[in-house]
Amino acid sequence: MSGPDTLRDIETLIAEFQASGLRELHVRSGGVEIYLSNDARAAGLDAAPVVRQAAAVAAPSATPAASAAAPAAAAPAAVAGLPDNVVIVRAPYLGTFYRSPKPGSPVYVDVGTVVTPESDMCLVEVMKLFTAVRAGISGTVHAILATDGQMVEADQPLFAVIPG
Amino acid sequence: MAVSRLFIANRGEIALRIVHAAQALDIETVVGISEADQGSAAATLADRALLLGPGPAVHSYLDPRLVVHAAKAAGCDALHPGYGFLSERAILPRLCADHGIAFVGPEPDMIDALGDKLRARAMAKAAGVPLVPGSEEIASAADARREADRIGYPVLLKASAGGGGRGMVIANNAEEAEAGFHKASAEALAAFNDGTLFMERFVPEARHVEVQLMGDGTGKVVHFGERDCSVQRRYQKLVEEAPCTAMPDQVRRQLHEAAVALASSVRYSNAGTAEFLYDVKREEVYFIEVNARIQVEHPVSEMVTGFDLVAEQIRIAGGAALSVSQDDIALTGHAIECRINAEDVGKGFIPVPGRITGWQPPQGEGIRLDSHMAQGAVIPPFYDSMIGKLIVHGKDRAEAVSRLTDALDAFVVEGVPTTLGLHRAIVRHPDFIENRIHTRWLEQVLLADGVPATE
Repeated sequence: MSGPDTLRDIETLIAEFQASGLRELHVRSGGVEIYLSNDARAAGLDAAPVVRQAAAVAAPSATPAASAAAPAAAAPAAVAGLPDNVVIVRAPYLGTFYRSPKPGSPVYVDVGTVVTPESDMCLVEVMKLFTAVRAGISGTVHAILATDGQMVEADQPLFAVIPG
Repeated sequence: MAVSRLFIANRGEIALRIVHAAQALDIETVVGISEADQGSAAATLADRALLLGPGPAVHSYLDPRLVVHAAKAAGCDALHPGYGFLSERAILPRLCADHGIAFVGPEPDMIDALGDKLRARAMAKAAGVPLVPGSEEIASAADARREADRIGYPVLLKASAGGGGRGMVIANNAEEAEAGFHKASAEALAAFNDGTLFMERFVPEARHVEVQLMGDGTGKVVHFGERDCSVQRRYQKLVEEAPCTAMPDQVRRQLHEAAVALASSVRYSNAGTAEFLYDVKREEVYFIEVNARIQVEHPVSEMVTGFDLVAEQIRIAGGAALSVSQDDIALTGHAIECRINAEDVGKGFIPVPGRITGWQPPQGEGIRLDSHMAQGAVIPPFYDSMIGKLIVHGKDRAEAVSRLTDALDAFVVEGVPTTLGLHRAIVRHPDFIENRIHTRWLEQVLLADGVPATE
């Protein structure tokens, strides 16, 4: 199936998805497969769509919000005043930075918390859509570089983690 | 309330153009950029640049929530969408309204209505704007002949359920209309399982003309003359000019009146463009659609009117009435714009991202360049390939063509292939110089024997 009807169906699906508050949606019908996500980096929609979409869907996710892929794994520290060996966890896109899952609940991580690549570090919110940012590396949180409730830009340093 | 801090939800030359207009009005500017546009001209010139997200537009410029979140977080009271990207997506003005941000453009319901071709045609019809003469459903060969006689030849038989050229037949006389009915009907039935046909007048040599409009939402609308955008490739405009000198004054007046009547009848707010097809032989114009945004080619209208359209857009978004009446708008001379794209013309116009290693734009009287490029600037692979718009103005079309020819010859761009060579060939062609072009001229004449070698 292809042509204008399918396109219209997809547009409708996207509109419904946006209105629904769902985080991810995977549809397979006939020869068409669609993966929708509110997480900008989860699906890698810009290249090799079918394979990478399928991989993204298959990836286990036990977290409450869709998690961003490791934003920082191989990035150099490049933040003044930090030890050379730290890895910086960065914001996947612009949004509001939240250290806890909801107001009043404990923070995801603090200085000294030991994290694994799958550990949720914080939430980044865009218009009421919350996305968890994962550590992407094993180690110990060395510093928290953004302020709870503040706007962060894409790529802005959020945490410094000492690998280990 | 006048705008005090403007968010620019776009990139490239138009983001820079909007920053300039806002600064001239003493308005603070915040531009939202992707990771691929860090250090861009607009980002550098604006008071603040916010990094929205990664390079691919779906993760940055095409995400309405991300854009409005950034505008709100930065304390902006207005948002300019530019053209392309989210500029004609009603969700953007709706989100802006939800968050107390003035949208620099028409109301979201208007954007929706104009985006629906049938609704837009109904609006035009109600306002007395001429549409392409056509028929209701054609039920038989005799019906086809009768309707074609009434509409006037040549006619185009079209499948009601159609698309992609299937079920379309051109008929030049009554016999062809009857035979065409059977052929188109059979094709439509085979392709769409629906043989229903209708008929429209076919215009073999059409010009694309459009009227620049501005309204303030009260029903008051002014026009800034028309533009002729007939040099096109695959419906993409390459050269635009103002005025359309191929049109008699009386038709021009009808065109302006029709466009203003349409916009006024729906109390149109902000900038818009009413597009028409001009049948040169019959000297008739037919409505196509309204574009609810500032357009790429707006500078040619600015050059012949001396009026800053983007500044007026911002003022109106801030609640001001139109700052001009129709009598204040005088059209002087002739302007032509060339869109310069980083494309390899010889390889099917494939876009070529890369770094500009040499950039020497022409300078001189009557020359304007709207561009975000400079030596060392990078064209990212994620967006369209336009690197600038060269606009010239002269006292008449001949002087404008002459200035454009010299300006194109003087323009040096190194590092990426561009469409400059093609433009040099266009402006030297006798058909262009003598203004005998139409919307299929570029493909049927200039590019018919391959790409002219001039680069």
